[in-house]
Amino acid sequence: MEISSIDIGIIVGYFVILFVIGYFVKRRIHSLDDYFLAGRRLTLPIFVATLVSTWYGGLLGVGEMSYSYGFVNWIVSGFFWYLVYLFFAFFLANRIRRSNLYTIPDQLERFYDKKSRFLGAIFNFIMVSPAPYILSLGVIFNFLFGVELWITILMVSFVMIFYTIRGGFVGVVYTDVIQFILMMVGVAAIIPIAVYTYGGFDFLSSALSNPELALTYFDTTKHLTLTGTQTTQWILIWGFIAFWTLADPGFYQRCYAAKDDKIPKKGILVSVGFWLLFDICTTFTGIYAVAATQAGLLEVESALTSYLSIAGALLPVGLLGLFLTGLIATVMSTADSFTFLGAMNISHDLYKNIFKKDATEKQVIRATKVGIVITIGFAIVLSLFFDSIVDMWYYIGTIGISAMIVPILVGFFYKGKKSPLAATLSMIAGSGTALIWVIHGYLNSVGGWPFYIGGVEPMYPGLLASLIVFWVVNIVHVRRMS
Amino acid sequence: MDLTFFLILDAVALIVATTVLTYFFFKDLLKEKGSK
Repeated sequence: MEISSIDIGIIVGYFVILFVIGYFVKRRIHSLDDYFLAGRRLTLPIFVATLVSTWYGGLLGVGEMSYSYGFVNWIVSGFFWYLVYLFFAFFLANRIRRSNLYTIPDQLERFYDKKSRFLGAIFNFIMVSPAPYILSLGVIFNFLFGVELWITILMVSFVMIFYTIRGGFVGVVYTDVIQFILMMVGVAAIIPIAVYTYGGFDFLSSALSNPELALTYFDTTKHLTLTGTQTTQWILIWGFIAFWTLADPGFYQRCYAAKDDKIPKKGILVSVGFWLLFDICTTFTGIYAVAATQAGLLEVESALTSYLSIAGALLPVGLLGLFLTGLIATVMSTADSFTFLGAMNISHDLYKNIFKKDATEKQVIRATKVGIVITIGFAIVLSLFFDSIVDMWYYIGTIGISAMIVPILVGFFYKGKKSPLAATLSMIAGSGTALIWVIHGYLNSVGGWPFYIGGVEPMYPGLLASLIVFWVVNIVHVRRMS
Repeated sequence: MDLTFFLILDAVALIVATTVLTYFFFKDLLKEKGSK
């Protein structure tokens, strides 16, 4: 892909801004609360900007899905999630803020005991691995400049390490605001130009449904329908993955960091509006890419890089730079937040609360900085094992959610006596069952696709095992306790 | 009405909403600076 020097200048300028913010925000840090939660002073606009940009990290994965499956992407990456966001906003957000804690494992200890915190921290650490996002950034830079994947991964990691170590959560949220603006404007800009260049819905429906123009190897005739060619089970499993939100450390962290206990609920509701508008743009960008390919107007290297191809073909100099920066910003904002969350799991949940209870604020901040390097190191190793971003989300999501959802929801909503042993065992049972199911499916794969027992996706048995174990152990153990 | 119109409206609404949010962000930031 050829990129003009102006566009490269815009991308470089963006990285310079990140450096500058990282350098200057250090002045705002005077305590552990400042470093971990920006002093719990997030106002509504910052709350929305940081939540929207952090949450939306897998833009290339969304491109891959919209290109391959069509409008159903909006159902599985949008619609289901909005429902869970609304639940979170109305039933959890303000409670989380009022609890005045730092992390999800803090909540687990509040509901159960130290062992639950320990296990929760491990699963949290896996769930917030920035690996899919670091891989995305590697793919983007590799595609744009032809630089080797590992070199780009290291370069990007270095920038992120710099401003997260220096600025802590303050650095993360202020860079998020810039990234939020870039990603919204960049993604919105492509739609009117695609309509102007290729045509409106008439073009999409004729290009996608005309069998004579079927240049790609897959069926696109159902790309504009609600469910596409996907099975109900496939769609529903993504609905379950949306429950991720209820155990998402990024959501919790932003709720803890809000200025008062009304901002989280309002902020999530405003964010849902942004996600709705944004998801429609991203889904249709992917659909335009596949329709233009079918019509022989665009060459796409792979579904994963379809956004880059369509942007390169459509956007003029300057706007292309803006779009690419928006794309990079989308991924960076999630990668940096997740890196910081992983580091907090190491320093706050494990170091301070399990291994060295008398650690000073200074020691905890130092441990967080080491944690940032460990989290990124782990992510780089993980990203070498997977070549599909969607696969990585799927497996991390399946195992993490199977472990965390039941103990968290029971903790918040069950008013009766709760057994700490039930929480620990349910986390082990849920994640263990899902993992065994995944490994079994992988070992019995047919034609490169995992074959699951009875065609059942791993998250169902994982959640079921977690729920049953919690329920049974809770009954038995609570009786014994009393 | 043609669905294309709604698609463009969506993109325009996204840019407008982002501009409004950015305005309030800077307003808060300046207020915070002023109060120091």
